[in-house]
Amino acid sequence: MADVTLEPLKAPPGPLASFWAAFRENRGAVVGLVILSSIIFCAVFAGIIAPHDPLEQYRGFTKLPPVWFENGDPRFLLGTDALGRDMVSRLMYGARISLFIGVAVMSVSMVVGIALGLSTAWFGGLYDVIVIRIMDLIVSIPSLVLAILIMAVLEPNLMNTIIAVTIVYLPRYVRLVRASALAELPKDYVTAAKVSGVGPLRLMTKTVFPNCAAPLIVQGALGISDGMLEAAGLGFLGLGAQPPMPEWGAMLADSREFITAAPWIMMMPGLAILITVLCINLVGDGLRDALDPKLRRS
Amino acid sequence: MFTYLLKRLALTVPTFISLMFITFVMIRLVPGDPIEVRRGERGIDPERLEILRHEMGLDLPIWQQFLSYVSDIMHGNFGVSLVSKTPILEEFLKLFPATLELTLCAMMFAIVLGVPAGVIAAARRGSVFDQSLMGLALTGYSMPIFWWGLILILIMSNTLGLTPVSGRVDLIKYFYPPVTGFALIDSLWSGQKGAFWDAVRHLILPTIVLGTVPLAVIARMTRSSMLEVLEEDYVRTARAKGLSSRRVIGVHALRNALIPVVTVIGLQAGTLLAGAVLTETIFSWPGVGKWLIESIGRRDYPALQGGIMLIASIVIVFNLLVDLLYGLINPRIRHG
Repeated sequence: MADVTLEPLKAPPGPLASFWAAFRENRGAVVGLVILSSIIFCAVFAGIIAPHDPLEQYRGFTKLPPVWFENGDPRFLLGTDALGRDMVSRLMYGARISLFIGVAVMSVSMVVGIALGLSTAWFGGLYDVIVIRIMDLIVSIPSLVLAILIMAVLEPNLMNTIIAVTIVYLPRYVRLVRASALAELPKDYVTAAKVSGVGPLRLMTKTVFPNCAAPLIVQGALGISDGMLEAAGLGFLGLGAQPPMPEWGAMLADSREFITAAPWIMMMPGLAILITVLCINLVGDGLRDALDPKLRRS
Repeated sequence: MFTYLLKRLALTVPTFISLMFITFVMIRLVPGDPIEVRRGERGIDPERLEILRHEMGLDLPIWQQFLSYVSDIMHGNFGVSLVSKTPILEEFLKLFPATLELTLCAMMFAIVLGVPAGVIAAARRGSVFDQSLMGLALTGYSMPIFWWGLILILIMSNTLGLTPVSGRVDLIKYFYPPVTGFALIDSLWSGQKGAFWDAVRHLILPTIVLGTVPLAVIARMTRSSMLEVLEEDYVRTARAKGLSSRRVIGVHALRNALIPVVTVIGLQAGTLLAGAVLTETIFSWPGVGKWLIESIGRRDYPALQGGIMLIASIVIVFNLLVDLLYGLINPRIRHG
């Protein structure tokens, strides 16, 4: 999954160099990328570098504060939760879950969104109307309320969280792809391709689509962070990933009752969410600046 | 304008029908039997189960259930809550003012702080103020608001003791009848000393939590829109005329820069209602968001169905109004 997030950077060498030069101009984006890479590293190698099992309960060491506090224990760097589970290890495994959710939501809704967007732009007519109406309907229900509705029907777990959040974010991609495809279709190069006998599938995917890709990549980056926030919100409400799974939102919900006695238990998962989402958004800003000069924030 | 209005109205009809269809179908797909869930795990005697099922109309063919559902909604009947036995619409209308009050306050908070912040950042582009403000805005945009709420409770309520932790009213000290349903107005109306201040104190933290993301969005939008407008010829003309910088920015530029900002504000209705679910859950705010979450736990199908129907309808109608407003302001939209 780490590969997916970094994909834009692995474009062919020529454009890559110029892309990197433009990306590097945005200092925030570079900082975000560095921190994000280390979070991804932790997530991928959680099995090797995590000091403890994230589910192991150390009975004698419940609610230990982080190591820099007076009665912290060097064996538990960021302390332990109410059941004596190591915070560092749980956060690392949690990064794995959160990033997986974000990337999964982004990839599925992007692929489905591209397919629906390109096909509605090409076919038009009743099909177009129906798809766009359904997307309007999804948009008209507040995101979290829709996700809650879906989770009430499906059983609350990790897989269904991904399904619910994917449905919520699908309209963005469909509308974006459809709008840019519709803008490209009347252009001369498309007509030229049609005249030279290119079939509809090839025309849409090979000729038109690459010209719609830049805003889509930016939207994809932001989609990862939005998806993570949404999933964490569901986890917090008890409708997402279920305990004992170390999902950041669910960890926060668990810590609520200890907010006065042991506030650090609540602090850590939230900070993890904030930092990760912030870094992804910083990288997204950088991507936008580098890929889409029209959208560049001046 | 009239045809535009009709066209736009007609477009909402299929949306409403599919909304009814989807809420109906999804809620039926929920695993578990509502009667058994409601009566606990003890096995209900099958005969009585049949009678209950019949009373609730759960024994009819599914399409008949749907048709009666649609006709009920047309008559303003959103069903009866399985738990409290009160009509959903009544329950919703009783709770909705609390949510509306909270979302309006959050929106005000976001606009009052966000627009000036964005304007100043744009006017002093590249300054320390600009850079730190944009950093803050991006942080606010990335904020998990349920965590933000807990942090604020920890600091403001538990450590400093400045604000209450939850609810809308200190029920031990104050009681006032819900005339309008808005705590701020009702408390003033009641004339009880300190009641209004109590209502304000209860509102502060939820308002900040719910307003954070819109605040960040509005500040960012205002800034970028301002920067664009400041490059325009008419701004240069105004400057060349010798107008003060304050006047150029505050009058000539801001007016034009606000158009996209207003659009963004209009789009926040859904975001606010979604955020209200989390905010109300954290602060035990007795609004529709918290009620919705509780309905899931109780497997109260009709309440969930009716609640989501009503919330989505509000958003649809609100978006319709916003669209019509744009049509009025900008003729290019209604002829497009």
